[in-house]
Amino acid sequence: MTVQTSTADRTTTPHTSAAIEMTAVVKTYGRVRALDGLTLSVARGEVHGFLGPNGAGKSTTIRILLGILRSDAGRISLLGENPWSHAVSLHRRLAYVPGDVELWPGLTGGEAIDLFSRLRGGVDTAKRDELIERFDLDPRKKGRTYSKGNRQKVALISALASNVELLLLDEPTAGLDPLMEAVFQECIREAKDQGRTVLLSSHILAQVEALADRVSIIRAGRIVETGALADLRHLSRTTVTVQVEKDIPQLTTMTGVHDLVREGPQLHFSADTAQLPGIMRALGEHDIRSLTATPPTLEQLLLRHYGSEDR
Amino acid sequence: MNTHTATTARTRGENPGSTRLLTSAPPGTHGRHAAPAGHRDHPAHRAERGTNLTGLGTLLRFMLRRDRWRLPLWVLGLSAMAAYFSNAIALVLDGSSLEAMTVFAKNPVMGLITGPGYGFDDITVPRFIVGMYGVFLMLGAALMSILTISRHTRSEEQTGRAELVRADVTGRHTQLIAALVLTLGMNVLVALGTTVAFAASEAEPRPFSSALLFGASIGAVGWVFAGVAAVTAQLSAFARACSGIAGAILAVFFIVRGLGDMSAVQGGDLEWLSWLSPLGWAQQTAPFTLDRWWPLLLCVGLLVVLVPVALALQSKRDLAAGILPDRLGRPTASAALSSPFALALRLQRSSLLWWSLGVLIMGVVFGSFTSAMAESADGMPPEILAIMGGADGIVDGYLGFMGLYFAIIVAVFALISAGGLRAEEQGFRTEPVLATGVSRPGWMLAWASVSFLGALLLMALGGFGEGFGAAASTGDWDLLGPTFVGHLAQTPAIWALLGIAFLAYGIVPRVMGIGWIVFAASAVLAFFGTMLQLDEAILDLSVFVHIGQYPSVDLEPAAIAWLTAGGIVLTLIGAVGFRRRNLITA
Repeated sequence: MTVQTSTADRTTTPHTSAAIEMTAVVKTYGRVRALDGLTLSVARGEVHGFLGPNGAGKSTTIRILLGILRSDAGRISLLGENPWSHAVSLHRRLAYVPGDVELWPGLTGGEAIDLFSRLRGGVDTAKRDELIERFDLDPRKKGRTYSKGNRQKVALISALASNVELLLLDEPTAGLDPLMEAVFQECIREAKDQGRTVLLSSHILAQVEALADRVSIIRAGRIVETGALADLRHLSRTTVTVQVEKDIPQLTTMTGVHDLVREGPQLHFSADTAQLPGIMRALGEHDIRSLTATPPTLEQLLLRHYGSEDR
Repeated sequence: MNTHTATTARTRGENPGSTRLLTSAPPGTHGRHAAPAGHRDHPAHRAERGTNLTGLGTLLRFMLRRDRWRLPLWVLGLSAMAAYFSNAIALVLDGSSLEAMTVFAKNPVMGLITGPGYGFDDITVPRFIVGMYGVFLMLGAALMSILTISRHTRSEEQTGRAELVRADVTGRHTQLIAALVLTLGMNVLVALGTTVAFAASEAEPRPFSSALLFGASIGAVGWVFAGVAAVTAQLSAFARACSGIAGAILAVFFIVRGLGDMSAVQGGDLEWLSWLSPLGWAQQTAPFTLDRWWPLLLCVGLLVVLVPVALALQSKRDLAAGILPDRLGRPTASAALSSPFALALRLQRSSLLWWSLGVLIMGVVFGSFTSAMAESADGMPPEILAIMGGADGIVDGYLGFMGLYFAIIVAVFALISAGGLRAEEQGFRTEPVLATGVSRPGWMLAWASVSFLGALLLMALGGFGEGFGAAASTGDWDLLGPTFVGHLAQTPAIWALLGIAFLAYGIVPRVMGIGWIVFAASAVLAFFGTMLQLDEAILDLSVFVHIGQYPSVDLEPAAIAWLTAGGIVLTLIGAVGFRRRNLITA
């Protein structure tokens, strides 16, 4: 196996700017504000999870970064340059995988992979063949005969086989089976090891939890939360279940305790993670038979932001 | 509800003849007003019906709903064509000019295209219309059948919508049968529509029964190709391939009967070939001459054979699968496929090849009319002679006019090619290309180059074919060079149209249709403007009238330069506009 390492050489050279820097970006379609003052920062060499429900503005953000859509207001810097005016030179340094890949019906998957790679500036045939093998793709089939998952693989292989600094992935594994999902995660870790930056838009939370160094959560065209997963967890609530001999009245008044419910001998509540030490001390003064504390899942993080729409 | 359709009993050998299907109760109505299941029919009998054709009525109504514009457009369009042919011929040709045109029509090459020419020895206006134009209406009906069947069967399977329908309470053959019923019905309407249009025209065809036979012949061809398309729809998993196979069969039948008819016109001994083609059967009815109805039985007979074949093939295959295997292609791209131009060329390659072949053949065929043209010039109606440059310069006039004719045909290729750029964007295939190191102007101009150069190539091929045919038929090889130049010189008019289309694409792709409007207006003005004695200033609005129909008229270098520059500049402005607008995204 001859896997080229030139990318690592190129991308480990020190850069002064962040990979992606968006400040107060606005994009409107008629009266609809798709992006409403979005501010997003992605450091070089990190895998950045980009979370949000359908229609929150994830794809619009990525397409503005590609210079395919034009923003109405705000400052954008991609690898230190303006993506609208320097689209072409930037595209040689990045690869993009859309969530819904359309291929030419008459071209084979192999032809499409090569074409995309060449238009980006060259194909690493050894890397390409290795990826075709790993993703278990038959490159001889015509574009029209591929299923959604296989079209996705074509775009992924072409992107991952290119020696680029930045990967813009917009729900890249929609339609892939769990085995391929595992291959994908491996490939992203390798890309990170080679020093590439990855913006991974997704709503598969397990994937983001497994891969992302930092996460930004978008809602209605704004970033509502951003940071390392550990930090985000700290800001949110831990689910606690205790088995007690008798009631603990001060829990009802204690700050940081929410949704207290009693179920037989069990008390359920959620606690602000920051207040957890104090709460634990208070519980310690009582007879507790057992205690389980579950750290917040990404899902709960998300629901905290999207749930508020219904309140 | 619909408990009786839940049965899995399958009965083979059901007669799929259309009359029985039409009279059997549409099972889709069961849910609404049928008596409780089990009270009406014997259970076994219901099972038979409930297996393969359940939901026929519902689906048929649904198809009519989907085709509420398409169906009347086809029927009225073909009827309008019939009305146009019959009125135009009746108005333009009188007794002597009709005979002169018939001399021209009895040319063997004309026989190859139009038909056996029944009754041309004792010509009348209705006989002339039937003999010269009938085949085009038949081709129209055949195309209508092929496209309608494909649209409601294979296209539905390819997109996956048929799966939803099949998963509902419908039978295995319901969709195909419903599409057949729809298409056969459309052809009945076409037969009636063309009959009425013809009968009511200035051609005054008498008796009415002959006009009805003419209409029925057109509908009968449509019926046969409904059956052909129903069979080919089973072959490949892709609608385009299925329609393509049906179209190829149509072409083969057209050529087979053409060879037979050519032989008949010449008095050769290959006449029997005409009887091997459904188009031939329909023409052998010879309305207003022999008035034979029985050849239409052959058409109906072929349909009755084809439908069970289609049903049997459908029973043998899986949903969404084809009978023919899908071929594998290259695992890697060829070294050449590495630029936007190479991609644009690759995507338009097969279209360019087919157009090249067609234009070349058309050139040779039309070119070989040259000597017949020269012979029949004296008797031609003055309106037509005027277009061709008068009786003296008829050869040069004809060849110059054909340059314009080819420019109009190739302009259709050019505008379709330009439209392909928009289709790429609407199909979301442009976005991943632009996400690589390809600039927007780079992509658009690569595509435009293929359109521009493709138009030039086709005009060169058309001109060469025309010149070759003219030289071969007259023996005067000095015609080849000037005819080639005269055709090629028309290309800038097409480029100007391309400029308009690409300008629209770059700035407001929604209005790309403007290219077609300018094209249609230009073509009408160029063809009929002089005949209608329109003002010079209005005529000049046409892109086709400025270059000059060489060799009968001198070329205008200034017009060539202006139209070329216009096409290029408009395209470049479009490219700048494309740089500035949002891309259509999913």
